[in-house]
Amino acid sequence: MLDYEKIKKDFLLVSKQIKGKPIVYFDNACMSLKPRQVIDAMNEYYFEFPACSGRSSHKLGEIVTKKVREARQIIAKFINAGEQEIVFTRNTTEAINLLAHTFPWVKGDLVLTTDKEHNSNLIPWQMLVKNKGIRHRVVKSKDDGTFDLEKYKELAKEARLISMVYTSNLDGTTIPAKEIIKIAHENGALVFLDAAQSAPHKKIDAKDLDVDFLAFSGHKMLGPTGTGVFYAKYSLLEKLEPFMVGGDTVEYSTYTKHEMLKAPEKFEAGLQDYAGIIGLGEAVKYLEAVGFDSIKKQEYELNKYITDELSRWPKIKIIGPGDPALRSGIISFYIDGVDMHQFALMLDEMSNIMIRSGQHCVHSWFNDKKIYNSARVSLYFYNSLEEASVFINSLDKIMKII
Amino acid sequence: MICIVALIIFSILGIFSATHRQMAKEALDCVFRRVTLRPCNTGFKEKIKSHMVAKLLNRSTFLARAFNRYYEVFAWIFFILMIASTFYVVKGGYNYYLYGSCNGLNQSGFCAFDPKGENNKVTEINASCGIEEKSEKNVSLDGVDLSSFPTKQVGAKDTIVLIGCYECDYTRKAYPDIQKLVREKKTNYIFAHYPAKENTNFLSEVGYCVYKEYGDRFWSFNDYLFTVDKVEIYQSEYINTILKNFDFDISKINDCVNDSATKEAVTNQVNQLRKTHLYGTPTVFINGKAFVGPKPYRVYKSVLNKFIIF
Ligand SMILES: Cc1ncc(COP(=O)(O)O)c(C=O)c1O
Repeated sequence: MLDYEKIKKDFLLVSKQIKGKPIVYFDNACMSLKPRQVIDAMNEYYFEFPACSGRSSHKLGEIVTKKVREARQIIAKFINAGEQEIVFTRNTTEAINLLAHTFPWVKGDLVLTTDKEHNSNLIPWQMLVKNKGIRHRVVKSKDDGTFDLEKYKELAKEARLISMVYTSNLDGTTIPAKEIIKIAHENGALVFLDAAQSAPHKKIDAKDLDVDFLAFSGHKMLGPTGTGVFYAKYSLLEKLEPFMVGGDTVEYSTYTKHEMLKAPEKFEAGLQDYAGIIGLGEAVKYLEAVGFDSIKKQEYELNKYITDELSRWPKIKIIGPGDPALRSGIISFYIDGVDMHQFALMLDEMSNIMIRSGQHCVHSWFNDKKIYNSARVSLYFYNSLEEASVFINSLDKIMKII
Repeated sequence: MICIVALIIFSILGIFSATHRQMAKEALDCVFRRVTLRPCNTGFKEKIKSHMVAKLLNRSTFLARAFNRYYEVFAWIFFILMIASTFYVVKGGYNYYLYGSCNGLNQSGFCAFDPKGENNKVTEINASCGIEEKSEKNVSLDGVDLSSFPTKQVGAKDTIVLIGCYECDYTRKAYPDIQKLVREKKTNYIFAHYPAKENTNFLSEVGYCVYKEYGDRFWSFNDYLFTVDKVEIYQSEYINTILKNFDFDISKINDCVNDSATKEAVTNQVNQLRKTHLYGTPTVFINGKAFVGPKPYRVYKSVLNKFIIF
């Protein structure tokens, strides 16, 4: 059960008002709010021990080294990974680029993606098609937006890397990752999962999934902005050649040669965002304390309420499956002939309802489907039914004039 | 369209607030089509429209619907109003600069730059002078004989005529400017006293006689009358002291003042002045162009400037 009083205390914005009206923050797929604990942990770093980790052996240096190590352990455990298997990045995008730039490509290698990839998991492959002569193919979803395993099985036979969005930021659907990975491995391919929208909402068990690579962003799961994690099975991580090197990546160097550190250090070049990493560790602790069962339950209830209400207006079309249970905390919808930006702007102006509008960086899907853009409500556990009904009431007014 | 309207509005608001400055910048981009509606980017127009519709929606669905539907029409109306009002503001500013009044020369309607209408105030001339409507259009020197008034002929091409009264505040306000202009621009100058206030009517004769008897020495006497405290010129006893201070022969002047020929000449002068259709003092003619009321110095000067401002 969620303790709403505690949530209000931890997330000050939840009870904040703008121009006398409460804020209804429904743009969590882009960026989540941050609890006080995360901010405090970062402040603590800046106020108490703003030093380097790993390098300096003085007292402050030791505290940072210890705190960063702890955070790394917490975060690794969060996805059931080994401490040495995670690399800190700035975000999911950087993690994907890390993989794209360090993977030992051979001309003609085939990369498979879904048809709902965020640009972050599309453009790097398109670049490699251009620069390294790899091939890229898209596994189209079924009509209801769910994953087409049959088509995938066909294409997987030739693939070298399957790089797929685990939970889509477009419609909230989650792919059957375990099966996909199993099939890939049977065909000798490796699998990367873009878990930017999964990590905040569901338990990820890297070992159980047997996934080879995975990435997520801290800022979408209560963590500080500009924090991200790249996971790789250690045996694979060791084989990747870092593409960004320098300070903190080598054991020693002479004027002519150097000895690389082991993974993950060899990938974390230069001073890191220690405050961010420590903050992310705190975010993970917070999420685990709330528990994914409660998170899922709350998101489902709100998603169901909003989905049911939206069905009052036949003009409104929801992207993805009708069943809210299949759409995580996301309700992406559009109305033919209406610019959803205006929709979002009106909601914001009328009742401080903050949603995202546009193509959510999944241009390719919109272009393919010839849909102009959509409005996207993305929920998180701190959202309440009360907020959902403010949204529906305002929507009701807008629907009267369009 | 709305971009242009918004650009103008936000530019003005932007003078006072940073948020509006940002909006003005967006509007500018919009005008130059740098920001157009893209699927992942809100166009400026759409932004403005949504804000307005949403504001209305919180009040009345009916109004919001109408606005949403006829947005372009509203935008055009705004635009036209905007252009019209901008035109009037610019014109007002231009008039104010040139004539000291937004509405044109000697027009006394409200002017934001001169909210109290100081530049058009006159000491009104009592009803005896006219059945005619007071209108500066009628004020002119045509057919008016000014030869009997104190005149400084310096052979210049420009001539300034000041019709004023010694006791009147507005003439007193304009007086130093006119003297300065005459000096700076080296113009011909004619001064005419119009007896607009009872207390000092008698000074018409005194002035007439001083000029008649002492010629150019009249001018410093005249300066004095306009700058000394008003109460000092209300009574003839004081005037005698002043005349004495100027080393004028009091009895000679008094004889002249009491002479019936003087009375006739002064009456004649007033009649000539009335022919100008003036309705208040000060009235200044610069090369025949009438300025009623005390104008800022730049207004007088601009007539004589080669290029308006210099
Ligand atoms: C599915 C998915 N992948 C990748 C990203 C990119 O995340 P980031 O911007 O943190 O790199 C996002 C962000 O919206 C996302 O939703």
